[in-house]
Amino acid sequence: MVFPDGIPAFEQEKRFLAVRQPISEPLVFLQSLANPNVCFATLPAPSVCPGYQLNIASDDLETLGLEKGRQPSIGDDVLCLAILSLTENAPPTVNLLAPIVVNVRTLRGCQAIQPDSSYSHREVLPVREAPCS
Amino acid sequence: MLVMRRRAGESILIGEDIEIQIIHIGESRIKIGITAPKSVAVSMKEVKLVGQENLAAAQLRSMAALRNMLDRLIEGPAGDEK
Repeated sequence: MVFPDGIPAFEQEKRFLAVRQPISEPLVFLQSLANPNVCFATLPAPSVCPGYQLNIASDDLETLGLEKGRQPSIGDDVLCLAILSLTENAPPTVNLLAPIVVNVRTLRGCQAIQPDSSYSHREVLPVREAPCS
Repeated sequence: MLVMRRRAGESILIGEDIEIQIIHIGESRIKIGITAPKSVAVSMKEVKLVGQENLAAAQLRSMAALRNMLDRLIEGPAGDEK
C-alpha cells in the first residue's frame, strides 16, 4: 500500500504492508517496507465500533483518489483501520479520530484526521466485545 | 492566553511576518487564512496529537501486553474483570 504523504510523525514512511495472521486475528499489522522498526497494530474500525462513520476531509479523499462528493463505504471502497496503542498500566486505546484509510482499488492510503467526527484519538478499546471465532 | 475580538475580513499579526486573517464566519466554523514564512510549520492541532499517538503506538515493544490484550479480545476476560 502506498501512502503518498506518509502518516503524522512518520512522513517518510510511504509504503506499508498489511499483515494478517490467524494467530493474531482480528489484528492487522501495518509494517513499513522501508523501516523494519516501524510497525503498527491496528483493528478494523467497524470491529471496534459497529456502525463506525467516516467523515473524510476532501483533501484526504483526493489523496485516496476518491470522489469528493460522497463518503466512501468501508469494505466496498476502502479499508478502514484504527491504530492500536498499548500503554503500561492503562487500558488499550484505538485511534478512531484518525483511522488509516486505504482505497481498496488503488491501494493508496492516508491517515484521515476527522476533526468534525465525535470520535477520539484515544477511544478505550472495548475488549469485552469479543468477536466469536 | 491573549483574547482578541475580530470580524470577518480583519486580521491579526504575530511578529513581523505572520498574519492570520478571518476570512469567513459560519454557523459552526470559521475560515482562517494564514500567511507565514515557509520555516514556520502550520498545521491543525489534531495532526500533532495524531503524530504523538502514532509515535506511542509504533513502540510495539510490549509484545506481552499485546498478547494479553489479544487473549482478552478473542476469549473474553478470563477472571480478570478489571
